[in-house]
Amino acid sequence: MLLELNNLVLSYGSVQVLKDISMEVDKAQVVTIIGANGAGKSTTLRTISGLAKLKSGSITFDGHRIDTLPANKIVAMGISHVPEGRRIFPDMTVEENLRTGAFLRKSRSEVGDDLDSIYSQFPILKSRRTKNAKTLSGGEQQMLAIGRALMARPRVLLMDEPSMGLAPVIVDEIRKIIEQIKENGVTILLVEQNAELALNLANYAYVLENGKIALEGPAEELHDNEQVRTAYLGI
Amino acid sequence: MIELLLQTGLNALFAAAYLSLVAVGLVLIFGVMGVINFAHGELFMLGAYVVVALYTNLQMPFFLVVAIGLIFVGLVGIVMEMTMFHPLRDNPLGGLVASIGFLMVIQALIILGFGVRMEHVPPVTQDVIVISEKVRLPVQRLFVILSALVCLSALWLFLKRTKFGWALRASAQDPEAAMLQGISTRTVSIIALFIGAALAGVAGSVAAPVISISPVIGHSVIVSAFIVIIVGGIGSLEGAVLASATYAFIHTVITTFVDGVIADIVGLSLMLMVLIIKPTGMFGTQDRV
Repeated sequence: MLLELNNLVLSYGSVQVLKDISMEVDKAQVVTIIGANGAGKSTTLRTISGLAKLKSGSITFDGHRIDTLPANKIVAMGISHVPEGRRIFPDMTVEENLRTGAFLRKSRSEVGDDLDSIYSQFPILKSRRTKNAKTLSGGEQQMLAIGRALMARPRVLLMDEPSMGLAPVIVDEIRKIIEQIKENGVTILLVEQNAELALNLANYAYVLENGKIALEGPAEELHDNEQVRTAYLGI
Repeated sequence: MIELLLQTGLNALFAAAYLSLVAVGLVLIFGVMGVINFAHGELFMLGAYVVVALYTNLQMPFFLVVAIGLIFVGLVGIVMEMTMFHPLRDNPLGGLVASIGFLMVIQALIILGFGVRMEHVPPVTQDVIVISEKVRLPVQRLFVILSALVCLSALWLFLKRTKFGWALRASAQDPEAAMLQGISTRTVSIIALFIGAALAGVAGSVAAPVISISPVIGHSVIVSAFIVIIVGGIGSLEGAVLASATYAFIHTVITTFVDGVIADIVGLSLMLMVLIIKPTGMFGTQDRV
């Protein structure tokens, strides 16, 4: 298993946010976590990338324990995080944002090549490369946040609500981008409130409720599950 | 009259040069650490005393001493990061109070070493560029102006063209997102403290032969620098430079034509007006650096 979360427990003060969460993410898969607001989806991703510290439990990546490492070391292991709300650097240009994503990379020529491939994948970013990131539209900012994470050449990409606040046309574009990343062999752990989108993209899914896993299974099965359909797909 | 204005302009340019070096360092440290370094004027003062010790007393070459001043005061900045700003990183007010304590310690150490008297550093050169009969620029002052231009350009290139420059700006704008790119915020804060302190140090060193030096000169420098960064917008490096030039010009003109105390009053009133009309400063936004 590429990424394993074992019995994660985390609390903010007296509030338990994660109550015994265990998940497995296999190589070259898209695994999704769906659930309502405040179920602990984002927090789960934040524990993986080292932004939130566990009370108990462990996280292993490729056989190495990573839950004791600081966030910048976890990126170096090959896990990149596209955070909730995009979190691009507003007063830096598009190109500076992308190059910052490659902060840990040594080879300048490889970074240059990757920049070119990001630009061919996201032509809109190329046309905006010298503009400050805060001048981009929401969809463009999301593409920039994804492009920035890809610049680190991650083996696992953690994506937190990539469709949030975007128009349906743009959501469709994001869907294609995620499919493309998957085809390139990058493993994806996707957090989404848009369960329809998530279950269509994913191989396997976890449903989170109040910091616990309420349900899990192959995404297709969950898509047809009566409970999931009424609670999350609104059908 | 025109000649007097020209001369005042040159004087203002000199004042703007060292003031902007101090103010930009202050803004840089605030941007990355979120803390106001009250001891920043003392870093300027330390730079001047490096010149007193090594150039006046030991007669080492002036420009070598300026380079030593830059590095030494930069290292003092790193010491501040390690002893105060890092341990108090979750407590900006605590960092500010600690820096006030640090200011007093540095002043006391300098008084122990040099006494409270005024120090006069002999100028490196007595040459004066004569533009016309009444418009003259001492070469020693030109050194200060050129040093500011060189240092600020170098800083600009660092921030816009290098990987660590991007890392520094990224950390100032969103520390958590910067960590997610593999940037160590600790490394960034050490770099910011080194550069911020070194700029104040080099300003003090290069200006030493043209100002009167005493253990308390940091005070007047920091007051001007605070006015400047508030007027310019506390997170804006460009704002700090432009506001330094504006403030230095207004202050010098009023000092020349009216009186120095009135000039201070006008400077502070200007700051109050900006705070009332545009609290983020002339060039400030809520974003930093």
